[in-house]
Amino acid sequence: MPATLVLKLAKSEFHVELKKIDRAKLYGEVEIEAVDEKGKPATLKLLASDGKTLIDTGGTALETLNEKGDSLHRDDLTPLNLDGEEIKEVPSSFDEPNKITKASIDDYLSLIVKSVYQLSPAPDHDLDKMFERLGKSEIFSFPFSYRAGLEYDRAFIIGNSEEAFMVVGKPAELEFVGFNQPAMLSPDEEEEIAADEIDFSLL
Amino acid sequence: MAINISNARNRDAVVALENLNEKREVYYVDPKGKPVQNRRVLKSDTTHDLPDLVKKAKKIEKVAKALIDGDPEVDIEAFGRFLTDTSRVYVNERGIVHFVEEFEVIKDPDGTVREKRPRKKLLQNMNSEFPLRWTGKLIKKSDAITRFVFTNKKQLKHINGLTFEFLLEMAKDLAKKDSLLLLRGGPEGKDPLVMHRGGKQYNAFLEGRVKGNTYCLLLHLSNMELRTPKDEKGK
Repeated sequence: MPATLVLKLAKSEFHVELKKIDRAKLYGEVEIEAVDEKGKPATLKLLASDGKTLIDTGGTALETLNEKGDSLHRDDLTPLNLDGEEIKEVPSSFDEPNKITKASIDDYLSLIVKSVYQLSPAPDHDLDKMFERLGKSEIFSFPFSYRAGLEYDRAFIIGNSEEAFMVVGKPAELEFVGFNQPAMLSPDEEEEIAADEIDFSLL
Repeated sequence: MAINISNARNRDAVVALENLNEKREVYYVDPKGKPVQNRRVLKSDTTHDLPDLVKKAKKIEKVAKALIDGDPEVDIEAFGRFLTDTSRVYVNERGIVHFVEEFEVIKDPDGTVREKRPRKKLLQNMNSEFPLRWTGKLIKKSDAITRFVFTNKKQLKHINGLTFEFLLEMAKDLAKKDSLLLLRGGPEGKDPLVMHRGGKQYNAFLEGRVKGNTYCLLLHLSNMELRTPKDEKGK
């Protein structure tokens, strides 16, 4: 049975279940198969810079080092916030009700998306009032942590009068650039179009 | 990376396209309060994994005994070394394969194979002789966010005084219209965007924001719609 997330909006409480959506569930997926010149299967591996060490999936790891380059155990590390204060673990959002607030479209468009969930009402609950608000083009946001962890992600609830979705990610570091901030390099008629005109199935 | 893009008046310019990073809110320090860094290291290679150990020992039971008696799965000299400049290669049982034929196996959402065909590697069209086309097709932000998932995003930046004006005008135009602009690439300006050779195709939308005389031009890339999968409908 899926875990229930409780969302609080003013005096209303919504008990919802999450179902992850991805591209494969919507359109299917493309897998790449490779064969050598004799038709025998070939698999992808990582080749180290020495030109001979072959590494399979799971053959690499991330090591944390101090200034001298010595390895550090995870227990020796202290997480700090931007003010240099030690961070306490945040609870899972499934452990307590989550107050959701109205959000702006620009905030949502600044999100680096990690995952998308379809929201459905938990048994014996409904989302009628939520659909009503989403149908008026309102969007909502709240700090979200799937499992307890060091920091929250940002979750946005968007949708329409029939469907609700939760899009989770982290805000991007946007930069408003002026004349003196150049980056280094690395006439059709305008018309309003309907979203339906844009084809996704061919991708 | 560079991006060749045209504006509403069909004037084009090469400008910079930069990745957007997440706002970093957590830093780690060592017991002395000093900053730390992460490096990728070698944990194991194909000559020390289970299939290779079984091949050497002939029987899986003998591998268990070898693991108890010693460390045949560890190369003390190599494991733990920093990894830089790695490449992806195809390998068969005899080693690296220099000639492979690739096939795309296309599966439906339920997992059934629909088609198998030779892989087509599309060329990147972000910075080609054909600039990305300002299609003039606008979609209101409020509509776009409920229809598409923007799975990737990047920021356009000017590289000199001329391109500053070029991009600032684009941003002002789009901000005023409160809309996203559909961008297309390729010789006829009809193709989805491809960031690099053999990469994914994206529907790309340009968003402009302005603060005083500064701008923020965002390229939102999408390869999926925001909708319920067909088999979930009606449940």
